[in-house]
Formats: sequence, C-alpha cells, structure tokens
Amino acid sequence: MASIKDLLAAFDTPEVGDWAGVSMFFDFQPTFTHYYSLFAENNFGEYLVNSLLASLGSALVAVTLGSMAAYSLARMEFRGKKDLLFWIISTRMAPIVAVTVPLYAIFRSLDLVGTLPGLILAFTTFNLPFAIWILKGFFESVPYALEEAAQVDGCTRFQAFVSIIPLVAPGIGAFIVLCILFAWNDFLFATIIGSGGAKTLPAATRELVQPQNIDWGKIMAAGVITTLPMIPLGLLVRKYLVAGLTMGAVRE
Amino acid sequence: MAEVSINGVYKYYTGAEDKAAVKDLNLHINDGEFVAILGPSGCGKSSTMRMICGLEHISAGTIKFGDTVVNNLPPKDRDIAMVFENYALYPHKTVYDNIANPLKLAKVDKQEIDTRVVAAAQLLEIEHLLDRKPQELSGGQKQRVAIGRAIVRKPQVFLFDEPIAHLDAKLRARMRSELKRLQAELGVTSLYVTHDQLEALSMADRVAVMHDGVLQQFDTPQTVYDKPANAWVATFVGEPQMSLLECEIERGSDPLKLLFHNHPIEVDPVITDLLDKCGLNHVLVGFRPANVKVDVEYMDNSIAGSVYSRQLLGGELLIEVQVGDTIVRANVETEFTLKIGDPCHLKFSKSSLNIFNKDSGAALY
Repeated sequence: MASIKDLLAAFDTPEVGDWAGVSMFFDFQPTFTHYYSLFAENNFGEYLVNSLLASLGSALVAVTLGSMAAYSLARMEFRGKKDLLFWIISTRMAPIVAVTVPLYAIFRSLDLVGTLPGLILAFTTFNLPFAIWILKGFFESVPYALEEAAQVDGCTRFQAFVSIIPLVAPGIGAFIVLCILFAWNDFLFATIIGSGGAKTLPAATRELVQPQNIDWGKIMAAGVITTLPMIPLGLLVRKYLVAGLTMGAVRE
Repeated sequence: MAEVSINGVYKYYTGAEDKAAVKDLNLHINDGEFVAILGPSGCGKSSTMRMICGLEHISAGTIKFGDTVVNNLPPKDRDIAMVFENYALYPHKTVYDNIANPLKLAKVDKQEIDTRVVAAAQLLEIEHLLDRKPQELSGGQKQRVAIGRAIVRKPQVFLFDEPIAHLDAKLRARMRSELKRLQAELGVTSLYVTHDQLEALSMADRVAVMHDGVLQQFDTPQTVYDKPANAWVATFVGEPQMSLLECEIERGSDPLKLLFHNHPIEVDPVITDLLDKCGLNHVLVGFRPANVKVDVEYMDNSIAGSVYSRQLLGGELLIEVQVGDTIVRANVETEFTLKIGDPCHLKFSKSSLNIFNKDSGAALY
C-alpha cells in the first residue's frame, strides 16, 4: 500500500496508544508517481523484460535438457549411474557463493558477463540439476511397457520418448513454473553476472538503496512489480503444481 | 506371415554375465502355427519373447523371420505385434486412437485406418467403446483393445506376453477360447508366453517348456502331457502334479521286479523290457493322480500308507497319501470318507506310468 502513498504520508504513524488513529493508514491520496518514475527514470521496463527473458529462457533450457537427461537416467542402465546422479545433485549442495568467483572468471573470459545469454546460462546452472532429479521421478512413474508398445507399434526410440511426453506434461508444466520462480527470485547471479547489460528486477531494486537516500516509495513499487506477474502464474498452475509434484510419489 | 526360427540363441544380462537367462535355444515355429512357451517365472520365456520382438539384445545366435535375420532390426522394422501383460494402452488416447496408432505410424491413409479400426473393433465386440479412454474400461475390455491394436495391422508374427494373466478366472476361460478362435481365423504365426499350463495346453498347437533358460521339451500338448521328456516337465505339467516314486530294480528274478519301499509294483511287459535294457538300478516312476487308487481295504498287491491331506477340487477329491517319506497324490470320489492321519491302501495302474533316470531326470521310453 505504501507504494501508492506519497513519500511523507507513507511514514505517518498515529500516536502511541491512539487506536482510533489507525484509520490514518488508509486515509491518503493514492498516487502512482513511484510507478511512473520507476519506468520513466529507472528503466524498469527494460529490467522487467530482462527478468522475463532470463527466467523463461533458463526454465526452457533447463526443462529441455533436463527432460532428456532425466529420461536417459530413468531408462538406461550403465556403469556409474549412481555416481553420476550424485554428482549432478552435488552441484546444488555447494553454496552458490562458494563458486561465484570462479564462475565469474569463467563467464568473463567467455564474454558472457552482463549479457542475457550469460544470465540464462547462470540460472540454468542451478535449475538443471534440480530439473534432472525431479523429472527423472516423473519418467520413472510412466510404465516402460508403454514405450515398448510404441516401439512395437512402429515408433523409433525417439518417437517412443515423444509419445510419453503427454503423460509427464503436467509434471513438466509445473516444473517450468518452479524454474521460472527460482530464476525470477534469484539475486546473487543476477547482480554478479547480470548487472550491467542484463539487469533483472531484484538487482535493479537493490540499486534504489543509495548512500544518500533510500527511496522507499519506489522500493515498494518495485516490490509490487516483481511480485505481481508471479501471482497469476502461481494460481494458474496451482492445480498442476500439486498434481505434478506428487506425481510418481504414489504407485497407481 | 512367416516362419520363425530361433537358432542357438543365448541371452546374458549385464551384471549376471556368468549365468545365461536363455541357453542355446533352438525353436522352429511354422507359418501360421500357435506356439506357447511355458515355464515358471525366471525360466527365460519372457527374455525369449523380448528378443524376438527386438526389445532385448540377442547375446548370441540368430533369430529369423522367414529368410530374414532380424537380430539387428529395431522393433518397428520387424513387422510384429505384441500384446503386453499389463496391456500398455496409451492412457491419454481414446480406444480408437489406441487401435489406430500403429496404422498412423505406418502412414496408412485416413479412410483405410477408419475401415480397419472399425473392422477390428467389430471382431472384438468393442465398437461401442471406441470413444472412451482406457481408464474407463474394465480389465477384459482393455485386453480386447490391446488385442485390437495388435491385429489391426496384419503383422507377420503375433506375440502374446501373458496377455490374460490379470483377468479373473471366468473371463480368462472365455478369452482363452476367443484368442484361440481369433488366431485360427487370422492364421498368423503366434507365440504365446505363459506360466499357466492350462493356457498353454488348451490353446497351443505346440508347447515349448522352459526351465532355467533351457528348453526342456517342444512338442504337442498331448505329447508333453503323456510323454514328458524329463522328470521336471512331468511334475510341472499336469494339475494336480504327477507323483514321482523312487524305485529299486531287482534283477534277480525273471521278470525283474520294480520295488517301491520293498514293495513290488506291477508293470506291463513293455515297461519290464525297458527297465531290463536301461541298465540302471534306481529309477523314478511317475504316476498321474488319476492312475492311483486309494481305499480303506487292502486291495490285491496294494501298499499301506496314511492320509496326509485331502483337498476338494469340485467334482473330485485330491488325496495325498504318505508312504515312508514319499507323498503320493490320487484322485478319488468325493464320497471318500477317510480323514487326515487315517491308514489307507494304495494301488497303481499297471500301464499309465512314466519312468525317469533317477540321476539325470531324463525319461526312458
């Protein structure tokens, strides 16, 4: 609510013990200046687009690569499979801060710092292992006999894989949303890899805190802008999210 | 349609390289023949089927359809159709689309697909279900859809992997007769894998009995039942099971005597000759339960024992009789009055018996 208040009005508080004075919280002239100036002065339009592209892009990359990796890990038997799976998940065990410096060096030498592809890649580093593990569970819950039947029916191995995608679609859909949320909310990579050419909303919001003043009105407005797009997305997939994430948990 | 020849096929699974799941298998299935592979779980029958349809790599040997070696062909190029144990219907597609799927993949034109799907559905009496999804169907209906998907494309070979194992007993009996009729009508070479001897004996033209990856016998159901190739087949095929009696051959007299617990068993002269020539001192003698008589009273040359258990099988009663440490099974009338533990007398029929080598288990004929 503070995002649509005048800066001074936002800090008005009633006297201590004056409960009737609470009404003054709601008694104000709404103003959209904070929103307006965010877009007009602070380029938030561009950051919003960056955020969208980076999170969507990384979610798509993670799910595409992840579903193929997860599929083969779910279906094939090969030596060292357990170790490989552990190695994949172990990349998520280390705190990201620990690898920030080497990662930055690598990204800089590849000229990826401050670019959107760089940011997508950075987000994918934490989305992909997660995707592989979750999606592996989804694929394991689909009976292998279905693919065998498809092959006998005349599918190639790859067509058989494609033929079972509709069955894991709710899971994949829910997972895309999770990936988007992770990437959307990420701050560390966004500031380190993305700042400069590919600033996202969380990174841009932080810059509103400046040594000489903290622009609370704009910060509140930025918070609303960051949260709003995710709310309908969450509502939209709420049903699938539960169905998708519990998929494979119970044997039918 | 084609003949299927399996020549010297071996199957080794990774992680168990020292133990073959299928050992030196040789089978020749004639064009249009209905062959059942029968065996307990883990005998290699499913591995065999999966190698034939191309879902499993063949470790050694060749499999041919007609004159074509199919070892390295993927399933889609083998022109086969398979009915799976758990039906494996696509849950997100309607019955129509499930049946039409192989035709769509073969790029058959729409009109033709429609005619053939409807024809298959009519044959299986599932036309009214074409718009439903698999989860709205009962087990028997799902089974029919799975069969529909197999017959719609007129393949060279049908493969059935325990297709009716999950149906209830009454429906199983009905599907047995329908599958048999359908196969005869379509005349397609068929291979049917099952652990249920009733299915194998009642449906197949020839039965291949497998045990521990090795083919034990491949012959008509009647021969497998009457003249089992070895003691293992003898006890596996036939319900209730054949009883095997360990007997001693006493060569001192003429004709020689067959002794079971020092009690002479009467046999036909043909069998006496056989025993004379075999040169063994100990053999296993097998009797089907129908060829053993049990009574309270002493019968001419009968053996004394005691009732070990009694099981009602509907029209008759199965009595197990303990003689020494051997259990002998016999079918008797349901009026049989003896209780468990009661003493009784056993008598074996002279002619219907099978003789096996005690050490190797091989049958003597």
